[in-house]
Amino acid sequence: MRQAALLFSLLLAPAALAQQHAGQPSAGTPRIHEPGNGQPLANVPISNLYPGNVAASPDIQNPLHNDPESVQRGMNNFIAFNCVGCHAPNGGGGMGPSLSDNKWIYGSKPAQIYLTIAQGRPNGMPAWAGMLPSDAIWDLVSYVQSIAEKPSDKLGKTISPTSPSIEQVPAEFVSSPTPWRMTEPFSSGRQPGTKK
Amino acid sequence: MKTWSIAALLCFLPCAAATAQDLNETSKDPKQWVMAPRDYANTRYSDLDQITKDNVAKLQLAWSFSLGIPKGQEAAPLIVGDTMFIVSPFPNKVFALDATSGDLKWAYVPATDPASQGVACCDVVTRGLAYDRGRVFLATLDNHVVAIDANTGQEVWNTKIGDINLGETVTMAPLVVKGKVLVGDSGGELGVRGKLTAVDEGSGKILWRAFSTGPDQDVLIGSEFKPFYDQFKGKDLGVSSWPPDAWKIGGGTIWGWISYDPQLNLIYYGVGNPGPWNPNQRPGDNLWTTAIFARNPDTGQARWAYQLNPHDLWDHDEINENVLLDLNIDGKDRKTLVHPGRNGYMYVIDRESGEVISADAYDTVNAYLGVDVKTGRPTPNPAKIAPLGKPAQDVCPASPGAKDWQPVAWSPRTRLLYVPHQHLCMNYQATEVGYIAGTPYVGATVDMYAGPGGYRGEVAAWDPVKRTKVWANKENFPAWSGALVTKGDIAFYGTMDRWFKAVDATNGKELWRFRAGSGIIGQPVSFQGKDGRQYIAILSGVGGWPGVVANAEVDPRVRNGALGFTGAMQDLAAHTAAGSDLLVFALPSDVAQPSQAAPSQAAPPPAPPQPQPQPPARQPRPRRHGRP
Repeated sequence: MRQAALLFSLLLAPAALAQQHAGQPSAGTPRIHEPGNGQPLANVPISNLYPGNVAASPDIQNPLHNDPESVQRGMNNFIAFNCVGCHAPNGGGGMGPSLSDNKWIYGSKPAQIYLTIAQGRPNGMPAWAGMLPSDAIWDLVSYVQSIAEKPSDKLGKTISPTSPSIEQVPAEFVSSPTPWRMTEPFSSGRQPGTKK
Repeated sequence: MKTWSIAALLCFLPCAAATAQDLNETSKDPKQWVMAPRDYANTRYSDLDQITKDNVAKLQLAWSFSLGIPKGQEAAPLIVGDTMFIVSPFPNKVFALDATSGDLKWAYVPATDPASQGVACCDVVTRGLAYDRGRVFLATLDNHVVAIDANTGQEVWNTKIGDINLGETVTMAPLVVKGKVLVGDSGGELGVRGKLTAVDEGSGKILWRAFSTGPDQDVLIGSEFKPFYDQFKGKDLGVSSWPPDAWKIGGGTIWGWISYDPQLNLIYYGVGNPGPWNPNQRPGDNLWTTAIFARNPDTGQARWAYQLNPHDLWDHDEINENVLLDLNIDGKDRKTLVHPGRNGYMYVIDRESGEVISADAYDTVNAYLGVDVKTGRPTPNPAKIAPLGKPAQDVCPASPGAKDWQPVAWSPRTRLLYVPHQHLCMNYQATEVGYIAGTPYVGATVDMYAGPGGYRGEVAAWDPVKRTKVWANKENFPAWSGALVTKGDIAFYGTMDRWFKAVDATNGKELWRFRAGSGIIGQPVSFQGKDGRQYIAILSGVGGWPGVVANAEVDPRVRNGALGFTGAMQDLAAHTAAGSDLLVFALPSDVAQPSQAAPSQAAPPPAPPQPQPQPPARQPRPRRHGRP
């Protein structure tokens, strides 16, 4: 917590963000065990297999899902905590897997994304719980869900000389928490259509 | 009995003084391939000529082996005696195989930390193993150097030389010089402080460590240090050319190639980019990033250094290989090193003094306006420096440079370098970034794409004396595999769209091609089997920085992914999927003639300069267009 606050104030974030995270959580700020109405986050499954066909999946919502500024704060955190370095601008992937599509290795539900960030995952995802306060992680959950492609009724995707047919307007020209709203024809490794 | 086994028997433990000589001699035996770059000069030239221009079309698969790890296969096989040693990407399994039959002798499986994958910038590759005196030396992604008994596969010692929680990994092939296993580090995108470590091959003890940034004491700059250019003279330049303390997280990693001149007793290697990529956060020349060091291998003390890209703006690492060549330039015999720069210039440097003799563009370059050999400094192109908050556009070469790690080959017969490389430009937006240990420290939004003409790679033959491109084959994708050239005057290389090619070394004409299972980014080698046949070996398995679009969860529709390489590789997955096959080729027995290979005891002196195969073009001018 103290480390995170230091980082924010010394290096990275706007003063407002620093203030928000520097002190104790305010009265309205949810704490890690609160969002599930008493249901522990620890019971959130990361697998889709339930022995005996008994699912233990507490319905834990993102406590900030009604906060209209959470997505933008999440985008700021995504950059400030170097998530962008691995997952790339707009979540295109690189060192870490892409977040821009609708494939989820460790689950797409808010609590599953929360736990993936807080606990880390064995193949390279760092565990952020020691560094980030819970509301900063929930903001990241809001952002990650915002940049993911909308679920489709198709099970898979086709790769061919004519598919995919679109790409996002690249991030060097447009910075947005909703990058799928701006697309252009697929360039197949050539210069992007956008030029400014 | 072969040289190596005599050496192994006689010198089983205590004859360190003779070791370097032994490995140097063994490396000249054309039947073997005992270090990744083939020899200390890094020539990648095979003195075997059973495969000729006339019969290469009959080349066929002799055997193959699946490594079982579908990640980028950049490693060079080693052939020592009758055994081939090969290493997989993370978790860095090592396999020993009979080089003629392909029989598996042993496998060594390290318990490499899976978390290390999260701090590997550009796929989880390794570029190979090292060998000396009956031991194979492995460097794992999670920073362990391991000695393995070459006969039994048993672990002898392991030494940890870095920390993944500081962003450190190892991807380079170690090189053994005078009983020391030399290993650098990767992590130039994670604020690592780059260093080269010398580990005693007998005990695993760390003997010396030379940092790339910081005070002279840490960089091992002392009284022996005699740089050629004035800007490299002065105390603690690795501190004063940075903002306060920025050198501690300033990159300068070492993940490419080391060469060694036994006569001068100097090792040579290139240093990586400064961190972060965003240049606005590190005013100054940022020494000794993007530099070439000459060092005494006994102590690590620096003899000279030359920085190619002061205050690098574009991630133009200079880890590329330094090929040690004795060239006659303007009537004078010069001991040179030839460094195909990531910045797009082919440097010919006096390897005794560090003086730049020439530096000529070998691909499209507009990031710089040229290199002044008098001052040693390149001239950045002011037109490519964008106003704060705006992206620089159409910058060439792109961040991976005109050439990245993929090593060139040199033929003493044609006197040409065979240069596989990229042809890419980019848009580049610098952004603020804060340092958090163990996370990326980049600060750039990059978007690469095909350079002028629409192609993305090229394999060129370059004359370092005449300073001209003699021929060039364009490739659709970056030519990310190394090159091999043989006494049969055939050059071999692979492509990311799954071709393994043999071309006429004198003119680039394609003589043979093989359709591999996956794209090729490995290092071709040649050796002679027990059956007297000449073999060519290469790994197939796409990946590396440009290949993650096809072997990992990377979205081709988001151009800025993979540190911007996605933009240039969007369609790769329509040409190849991941793979991990070792492919070994030979002529059919009825075609293979007894080899004219030189005796194994000592290699012949380099052939005298041959008549040029053809008058080189005055300007770099590719002779071939498009893909055949």
